[in-house]
Amino acid sequence: MILASLVVALVAFGKNSIGIVSRPYETYRRITDHGSLWELPYLGLVLALYFALASVVKTAAFRPFLLTRQFVLLAGSAALTYLIVVILMWEVGKLVGGKGTIRALLLGWGYTLVPTTLWFLATSILYVLLPPPRTDSPAGIAFSVLFLMFSTALFFWKFVLAYLTMRFGLHLDLLRIAVVAGICLPILGLYSMLMYQWGIFRVPFI
Amino acid sequence: MTDLLYKKFVERWEEVTQLPPTTLGPLTGLYKTLTRRLKVMPLPALFIVSLVCVVGVYVLFGSAITLLVSLLQRGF
Repeated sequence: MILASLVVALVAFGKNSIGIVSRPYETYRRITDHGSLWELPYLGLVLALYFALASVVKTAAFRPFLLTRQFVLLAGSAALTYLIVVILMWEVGKLVGGKGTIRALLLGWGYTLVPTTLWFLATSILYVLLPPPRTDSPAGIAFSVLFLMFSTALFFWKFVLAYLTMRFGLHLDLLRIAVVAGICLPILGLYSMLMYQWGIFRVPFI
Repeated sequence: MTDLLYKKFVERWEEVTQLPPTTLGPLTGLYKTLTRRLKVMPLPALFIVSLVCVVGVYVLFGSAITLLVSLLQRGF
């Protein structure tokens, strides 16, 4: 029974991961209506693979203790952030009249971590291939423009998915979504500053 | 056959009515046009908007954008 659920969830995870690129609106409707929480372990697996890579890049030394510590720190912080964001959105969403389910919100926000992970993964790889600082040379400026374009596009994509999470997960209209965002963003900003001060994520993994 | 069709109709009806409609007064038309573009394959449009934004930032700040990129590259 569990195995069958896992296989079905794997297929759904693959389909939804492609769907949020090609047809995000339709896919988010499907995720929030028919998605299963069994899809989240696959998302966790993708994140774990990224954190394993990031630990190697950040630690820059092949020492099992340091690597494990870094991995646990990154994965634990990302999991905590995920739960904080979902609970915060759920509570604030209910205050403004949201009528969805926590399952839909968990799944919806989970899939918004795909663009986040893509950005962090690309940045980690580029950090190794083309380490900063960038210079004022034409090549440096061209790379900067491309990197910023890539980052901004992923940010907008994340923004669209976050909007759809609240639209389908909480059944809110645009005005109420703006209110939820207006309340949640400053709180998450403070939380991100704490993460920065603790040296865990310089750019928040939200 | 009729039952199946009716069931599908009810499902579709519930799907459509479960969300409150978004209205923005005189801007509703613009909102609908924008969101229609984002419903299917939004990434090309998002990359074009990003390019415009980045070129705008480059025009404003010049080569200082390399500092921002250096910061972001250390941000993971």
